[in-house]
Amino acid sequence: MSKEAYIAAVTLLLLVPLLGMTACAPTPTPTPAVIEKEVVVTPTPVPGRQVIIVALARSPTTLDPADHRVRESETVIRNMFDGLVTRDTRSGVHLELAESMEWLDPKTLEIKLRKGVKFHDGKEMTADDVVFTFERIIGENKIEYPEPHTSPRKGLIAPLQSLEKVDDYTVRMYFSDPWPVAMQMLVHQQIVPKHYLEQVGTKGFIEHPIGTGPFKFVSASPGLDEVVMERFDDYYGGAPDLPPVGPACVKGAIFRVIPEASTRVAALLAGEVDIITEVPPDMADLLSQIPGIQVKTAPGTRPLWMEMNVHKPPFDDVRVRQALNYAVDKDLIIEKVFKGMAKPLPGVLSPLNNFVHPNLKPYPYDKDKALALLAEAGWKDSDGDGILDKDGKPFSFVIDCQEVARPLAEALAGQLREIGIDASVRVWEYSVLRPLLLAGERMAFLGDWGDSAFDPVGHMEAKWHSYKEGTPYGRGNFSTYSNPRVDELIAAGEREIDLEKRHAIYNEAQEILYEEAPAIFLVLPEAIEAASTRVQNWEPASDSRVNLHDVCLK
Amino acid sequence: MRAVKIIERILATIPIMLGVAIVVFLFMRLTPGDPVDIMMGQGGVVSVGEMERLRAEFHLDKPLPVQLAIFLGNALRGNLGYSYIQKRPVISLITERLPATIELAFGALFFALIIGIPIGIVSAVRQNSVLDRLSMAGAFLGISMPAFWLGIILILFFSVRLRWLPVQGRIGFGTGLQEITGFYVLDSLITGNWVALISSLKHLILPSVSLGAAVAAVVARVLRSSMLEVLHQDYITLARAKGQVEFLVIMKHALRNALIPTVTVVGLQTGVLLGGNMIVETVFGWPGLGRLVVEAIFNRDFPLVQGAVMVYAFTYVMVNLIVDILYTYLNPKITL
Repeated sequence: MSKEAYIAAVTLLLLVPLLGMTACAPTPTPTPAVIEKEVVVTPTPVPGRQVIIVALARSPTTLDPADHRVRESETVIRNMFDGLVTRDTRSGVHLELAESMEWLDPKTLEIKLRKGVKFHDGKEMTADDVVFTFERIIGENKIEYPEPHTSPRKGLIAPLQSLEKVDDYTVRMYFSDPWPVAMQMLVHQQIVPKHYLEQVGTKGFIEHPIGTGPFKFVSASPGLDEVVMERFDDYYGGAPDLPPVGPACVKGAIFRVIPEASTRVAALLAGEVDIITEVPPDMADLLSQIPGIQVKTAPGTRPLWMEMNVHKPPFDDVRVRQALNYAVDKDLIIEKVFKGMAKPLPGVLSPLNNFVHPNLKPYPYDKDKALALLAEAGWKDSDGDGILDKDGKPFSFVIDCQEVARPLAEALAGQLREIGIDASVRVWEYSVLRPLLLAGERMAFLGDWGDSAFDPVGHMEAKWHSYKEGTPYGRGNFSTYSNPRVDELIAAGEREIDLEKRHAIYNEAQEILYEEAPAIFLVLPEAIEAASTRVQNWEPASDSRVNLHDVCLK
Repeated sequence: MRAVKIIERILATIPIMLGVAIVVFLFMRLTPGDPVDIMMGQGGVVSVGEMERLRAEFHLDKPLPVQLAIFLGNALRGNLGYSYIQKRPVISLITERLPATIELAFGALFFALIIGIPIGIVSAVRQNSVLDRLSMAGAFLGISMPAFWLGIILILFFSVRLRWLPVQGRIGFGTGLQEITGFYVLDSLITGNWVALISSLKHLILPSVSLGAAVAAVVARVLRSSMLEVLHQDYITLARAKGQVEFLVIMKHALRNALIPTVTVVGLQTGVLLGGNMIVETVFGWPGLGRLVVEAIFNRDFPLVQGAVMVYAFTYVMVNLIVDILYTYLNPKITL
């Protein structure tokens, strides 16, 4: 064989597999198919590594517990900082730095602090630190770096007016109104050291944060793409209700940002990371079949609806909105789009919300009832083209959504087309679409809205209260729904502290909304995470916190 | 004389930068989407007045010309403002990320040149041979393959299956690299940290190949066609007639002249590599500027986007200047 022919042959050999691979290029997500062939691959981590590595999809924005409004920041921060209370992997709230909490009256909360809790520099945490922490959040322009500004977390604890130190281990919080959701919301505030912040300032603090949490800060890369921490051996142990109590099991922890889902999966397969978050449902199934990998889910906190503009025909007719709820086969959607990893919504609230109506069941899939309701509203296929029409106009509308919701939107449109509704999908950038939705200019929006406090507060106001510009009310109300009674109930629920009465208030609101159906109540997707089987005692949390205190490495 | 010209050219970038600053400022404000609204996210309770307070803090409540004046005034003093979301000075956010982006761009460029130039030369010299056709098919493939897809395939093969190279990141854990310039390869050379050097080079390979594949293809094709043209010139025939070794004919007489269009293309591609690698940065978890800017655009983080675009514009202008200077070396007839 001449030299030239030999080179040609080698090149060809190299090229053919590549050409073969291009044949599958049009598939939108080629990775799962490839992984299927990679089943033989098992993770082989560096032996004896006692540092756990977690891959997140997005970077935290800061390590200052008072200066962010981002879940990833909280995920990382809560491994270095503890709060007065914490949450288990579902919705239960438990005492953490607080030893006891008592409402002296509906607007005054007395907190007794645990004694002997140390910050990472060895100094004890006292009432001064708690007062300082919250005053730094609620005060105007208390964060001085890079320019004086007010904590973006102020809104998460808006009714808190002032604090008072009673003695070294007792603090009182004074609220402007009774605030029934206080415990759930306090989970999201972590205690910072007064002495240290006063000494080094915010700039010094974010460069080397100090808390009372199970891990202490070691280093962080620019942009917080990687945050390294080591075990804090003097840790007081964490919430006594949530065993194991004591110092963390692993020697250290690293949070690393890997934005692309396929890369996160590959990094887990290659043993470079131990836990990955935000696994897409279509990869979860294949991953769970690979030896050495465990896949776990937690019920999420982001219910999905398709909101219908109740002021635009045909959605101004409640029968049409109910009909669409009957026309959707949620079980099929859960099976096909979410690979079984989602739950149907029994109305406006997530089935996991602490105030979900006990008797409301998800709208059943009933095509005949849907068609009957549509016929009652005047929509029939009079010209035999397969599309319902009324007064010569076909039933046709566009479902707006973000890219992330496109598969669900397309599945939904397909189901609606089956009963003769010409639904199509348009993908938008959220910040462009949102003003149009609030102005009532669009027909339908498919999206989610978080309720990580597991409480209707913060969620009902935003989604189902009439829109009031410049207030929290209706800031996510994309159906332009407005019902004075519902508004009244939402306002009452914000302040009612009697549990029974509060349930009654939200039950009534949910019944009205279920009946008036301003949205197709779709599903609550589960949060999917995966880990190497070396990781023991690991459980994903509903509020997407990655709690590394409890996990061990085999 | 040349130095004066170069200084003139550098000074000419000032009005360009000013124009860029104004255009970016206006375009960002014309794009729908309210940064304060996005900042507050979905969950939680937004207190009444909180939004107004934030708007006032970022001067978003002021009329557009006033905002522009504040921005330009600060920019002239070297202050590009601070990021709405990360609450840190834009300058430090950019300077932290820029070395990663530049390192990756150089890695990609290096790969593109060591692959593209030999292929371009060989396929021109052996025009229409099997080798030529295969190389050109490969080049075609290189251009057509989306970088993110190539990246994932490379990861699956070299990282997951063979375990030769790391999946993602810039450097392994625990190399003890001391950061000096922010260029990890350079830093590990300066500090003589060979573990870090090997680790950072290994991390650089796959992203560079993914990013550089398309550039290598472009270089190969452009060089091939300009080589073909040059090889038919009289002076090549003359060189051969003088009895010069074929290798020297090609490398000295043909290549140098054929390189001019290639330098133009490489210059343009360098701009693209510096500015357009957010996809590869995302796939490989590479902590560069591209990813930061994409996130900033979605968050309507005006100061950060403005700052980054100005950096991009400046690099582009500088790269063009360097290309022009290179011309004068390749062909003394060209002046700046």
